Amino acid sequence: MTAAVVTKAPVVAAPAKRARNPYVQGLLTPRGITGLIVVGLVVLLGLAAPLLTSYAPTFQTSNALLQPSGEHPLGTDEIGRDLWSRVLFGIRTDLIVVVSAVPLGALAGCLLALVSVASRWADVLVQRLFDVVLAFPGLILGLTVTAVLGAGTSTVIVVIAVVEAPAFGRMLRGAILSHREREYALAARVGGAGPARLLVRHILPNAADPLVVQIAVSLSIAVIVEGAMSFIGIGVRPPEPSLGSIVSGSVMHLQDHPIYAIGPLVAISAFVLGLNLLAEALNKGVRR
Amino acid sequence: MSVSPAFADTLTRRRLVQGIGAGAALLGLAGCRSAVDQDKAAPAGAQAGPRRGGTLKVATLADLTPALLFTQGPIFSIHRLVFNTLTRYAPGGLDPQPELATAWQIAPDGKAITLTLREDVTFHNGRPFTAEDVVFAVRNLQNPQRSAQLRATALAVTGFDIDSPHRITLRLAHPVTNIFDLFEFMVISAKESVEDAVLGRNVVGTGPFVWKTWTPGTSLVLERNPRYWVPERPYLDAVEIRVVPQPDALIASLRSGQSHLAAGLGGRDIAPLREDKAFNLREYDQGSGNIYLGVNTSVAPLDDKRVRQALSFAVNRDRIVKQALGGYGLASAAPWPKTSPVYTDADANRYPYDPTRAKALLAEAGHGGGLDLPLAFLSTAPAVAQMVQFDLAQVGVKTTLEPLDPAKFQAQLIAQTMPALWTGTHGFASNQPATLAVSAYPFNEAKNTSKFTDPQYTEIVQRAWNQTDARSAAAKAAYAELSQALLDRQFIIDLAVLTNVQPATANLRDVRQNRYNATVLDDAYLAG
Repeated sequence: MTAAVVTKAPVVAAPAKRARNPYVQGLLTPRGITGLIVVGLVVLLGLAAPLLTSYAPTFQTSNALLQPSGEHPLGTDEIGRDLWSRVLFGIRTDLIVVVSAVPLGALAGCLLALVSVASRWADVLVQRLFDVVLAFPGLILGLTVTAVLGAGTSTVIVVIAVVEAPAFGRMLRGAILSHREREYALAARVGGAGPARLLVRHILPNAADPLVVQIAVSLSIAVIVEGAMSFIGIGVRPPEPSLGSIVSGSVMHLQDHPIYAIGPLVAISAFVLGLNLLAEALNKGVRR
Repeated sequence: MSVSPAFADTLTRRRLVQGIGAGAALLGLAGCRSAVDQDKAAPAGAQAGPRRGGTLKVATLADLTPALLFTQGPIFSIHRLVFNTLTRYAPGGLDPQPELATAWQIAPDGKAITLTLREDVTFHNGRPFTAEDVVFAVRNLQNPQRSAQLRATALAVTGFDIDSPHRITLRLAHPVTNIFDLFEFMVISAKESVEDAVLGRNVVGTGPFVWKTWTPGTSLVLERNPRYWVPERPYLDAVEIRVVPQPDALIASLRSGQSHLAAGLGGRDIAPLREDKAFNLREYDQGSGNIYLGVNTSVAPLDDKRVRQALSFAVNRDRIVKQALGGYGLASAAPWPKTSPVYTDADANRYPYDPTRAKALLAEAGHGGGLDLPLAFLSTAPAVAQMVQFDLAQVGVKTTLEPLDPAKFQAQLIAQTMPALWTGTHGFASNQPATLAVSAYPFNEAKNTSKFTDPQYTEIVQRAWNQTDARSAAAKAAYAELSQALLDRQFIIDLAVLTNVQPATANLRDVRQNRYNATVLDDAYLAG
């Protein structure tokens, strides 16, 4: 017996080493590195915003719709605010929103998934709840939640969390149901593991991979949802900048002042593109 | 220059008016004076001769709301397209001119007005227009279900004496200075179809265009009334009004030739067309409302007049006009446009931008350490609220912006549940000053959003409303007193008078508006 264990050990150890770093392996692909650089740059701009501009994002001057200059690299908006500063602080706002909302949605979705697999009745209820949420487009859901809670950053966080929760819930539920029937789970059960231990020690660690990929996808969706909500005026409360609200303000000036829209649009595009590249890279890594 | 039939008609009526009482003669002469001014102001294109035919295509931001047909004017009002009114104000002032009423005589005590009506007018359904239709029009506005904004003035009419089918006397509870405001506002509709009209099914009037088809949210088609009482009018065969809910799409529809006229755009929206010679930016001197900062006087310390005055000094009105309105507005602390009988430069500049004085007033009121107040605003119009917030912050008044969607904003305005401060727009300052104080909700002395009550203010409003002659020295003194009361009390802090500007293609001529911004197309035509 002892010899058998000793001879098996390197065989088990080798895949275990690979399994420890599937994310790193995925991120070290050209796609992953590009994603990391793009997202890192956007995040850095947001975090270092106060160091990169001398204007507060809400400071108004009498110089409206100025063209780009050394003092105002992206010009000014219709009420004389520095657009470079607003874009930087807008990124920061978006970061706060998505970094709060997506984990919140993931947590809610995962908890509901655990409730769902615990009993058949709970499963029916939770799945119908997810159906209801998924039946509404994100913006309609946003309008409904805003009508109840009022517009503001916290409402955007709640909306994104609600929109994202079913994705995490469905994914985790499927993974648990699938892994529960595998040999290693049966072996653990035969070995005396109770339902809780089986779930926490054996199934959840194996089911986590798709959730990590989903987080990256959800972050990019969250950026778009925030942008859309702020664009239609139910997002982040003015005068605080967000990328969506800056784009919204720029619409009437696309012809006479296109630079107004370019800054926030580039930031949103880069952020979403970078997160999608990361999601794809992570997906590739965990599938190896 | 040939006199158009519409003006010839006015000149004929002048002789009629001169034959009746002295008060009416004064009003009638004034009307003719304005008609001459109007004729001189006709564009050069009009001299080449109007062209008959064509369909005018209008793009508008908001659809018609039939349920509000008698309440207020929507963005592109059909009030003067499908309907007529008893009188109309001449451009540039408040001189009433004949329309369905050809002459009028006000009793010496101001408690009755006798109207002589046109005899050659029929509704679109073929029924002749008579004095009974005037009775119905007044009673219709008195009906609380209509929620008419001039209901208070309509309720001042307490009885009717019909001398003949085309002569009627309205008995009044008291002299009313804004009776011609009521006549300009009150459309004459066919009583037999009015319940259908408020559902948008069968809208029947006596106006130059006949209601044909309405597709809610999409379009409204009006066709030329072949039996219109003004000879050879209107020139246009039809008017097609399309709903285009986005300002940029509205501009695009003009540029692409899909529409001739855009309605509902703000000054800042039309900036892309300013340098484009293919379009005319038509400005109307009655303005199109006001931007204001509302104050809930039941919230401490805004019950202190000095604090309200400090806020008024703190806001940079010129910057609001320049940046939020694209220059299309008049920075003014008073609500009146320049064509109002009560407008003065001194009142407009009563609260110049002066942060130092604002701070001093706040300190005097015991709030030198600053204030923290909520500021509500319409979520679709954030610019002014943000500018006010910034200006107030400079004098130590911190505000938290609270966006409200249009339905909630309106509901809170009516229910008097606005927070300490809010930014919004109001109308009714372009007519007789009393109309503002008895009909515009923010200023209503009996009940207003600011929860402002003051027996002295009530007395001043009633004095301005109950004058026998709206143009007398006593009336003018009462109006001035009203203006001073508003400026002193500052429960509504007026910021700017909005310029009424409508972009249109260069070939569209002779479009007019009445004092309520209802579009008048009697003489409009599309040049070749």
